[in-house]
Amino acid sequence: MKYAFFLGCLIPARELSYEVSVRKVLPELGVELVDMKGANCCAPFSIQSVDHASWMALAARNLCLAEEMGLDIMTLCNDCYESLLMVNNILKRNPALRDQVNQILSEVGKEYKGKIDVKNLVDVLSGDVGVDKVKGAIKEPISGLRVGTQPGCHLTKPKRIHFEVLRGFNELDALVQATGVESVPYERKEMCCGGPLRDINDDLARQVSREKLIALKNAEVQAVVTVCPFCFLQLDLGQLEVKRHFNEEYNLPVIHFIELLRMGMGMKLDDWEVKAHRIPITELLKDRL
Amino acid sequence: MGEIANTPRGKGILLCIQCGRCSSSCPVARLTGEHNPRRLMEMVILGFKKEVLPTQLPWYCLSCFTCLDRCPQGGDVGEVMFAIRNLAVKQGNTPAGVAAQAKSLYETTRVINPVRTALDRRESLGLSKITTEGLEEVQKILRRTGMEKIVKST
Repeated sequence: MKYAFFLGCLIPARELSYEVSVRKVLPELGVELVDMKGANCCAPFSIQSVDHASWMALAARNLCLAEEMGLDIMTLCNDCYESLLMVNNILKRNPALRDQVNQILSEVGKEYKGKIDVKNLVDVLSGDVGVDKVKGAIKEPISGLRVGTQPGCHLTKPKRIHFEVLRGFNELDALVQATGVESVPYERKEMCCGGPLRDINDDLARQVSREKLIALKNAEVQAVVTVCPFCFLQLDLGQLEVKRHFNEEYNLPVIHFIELLRMGMGMKLDDWEVKAHRIPITELLKDRL
Repeated sequence: MGEIANTPRGKGILLCIQCGRCSSSCPVARLTGEHNPRRLMEMVILGFKKEVLPTQLPWYCLSCFTCLDRCPQGGDVGEVMFAIRNLAVKQGNTPAGVAAQAKSLYETTRVINPVRTALDRRESLGLSKITTEGLEEVQKILRRTGMEKIVKST
């Protein structure tokens, strides 16, 4: 199993622990990751809001790089995933749009051919590696911890381009449970974290996050497990903002799924990684750190 | 409406039957009366350009795509939203956060860049360097699509 590794912008800039954990864990599970040299931003929703043709061409340029490598892409961020997956799907099926995009790409000597697929971390772990193998790699199961998982919107929606919503949830939950923790159902699991409105309408973004936090608290979970770096940011940093604006404290640690897996596999987090969590995880995971 | 319907992401507007399922499934509409996707679709259908494009109305959507899964017509309200936003941006209605990301992409190939401490951390951990290797190509692409002009004018 070998993938063109699409890191995106947010993770290597702000969530280094996510990247480090992926680089430590995946090779242990037999997945080889090859960095994509010269890749550009996926062209997320903000850029899509500005100009449609630029979105298509920028995403397609990344797809071309992977085609040149002869590898399928693995993304971590849900936003990168949705952008690249959508453009790949559209261009594979729509020859007219593909011609338009290829005309733009000809300026930079590239041609989209439609030869690769786009996957994300959950796809790769549950589909290619398999939950059983992940489970088998857990040396120190994390028991006695109740968590709510936050798959994030673009892992499962719209369902016509993803696996069915429910299946997407189940696959992530199965992976999370493989580490030994208990993933409990909660209301509004399907709901957005609020992140996409950050920097556009911060007030509304916070209100959406608050709804999610209330639902998680009602389910009496001890932590939230995310895969998307935007969900992580919005629920972790967002809790401090909710505290400031609503004077409400949720104290709900937010953990990257891959960190959980890494700990379950017996690899400790470094001190700086523990401190990167704005809602402290030390109390909750003290036996592990 | 034609202007929206003739774009690749806007054609779903033609399928809208004004049933309101988008509004009832929208997490933002639940929190504020300012955002009502059904009503926004109605305004587009009726050609209310002035009342939509220069206002806040195009910028409430989370793009969570819940409405895409709920629309009984396959009308893709959340997709149409991008067609509306593209027109709004052409008129100069670009939120500062969006403009900043577009500028960053144009100047560095990335919408978010690491601060000094993150760069130092990357170096000390031996992680790959953050480069702007694709910059020339990215700028060529954006010149060709016309986004360069938008970036420079906002």
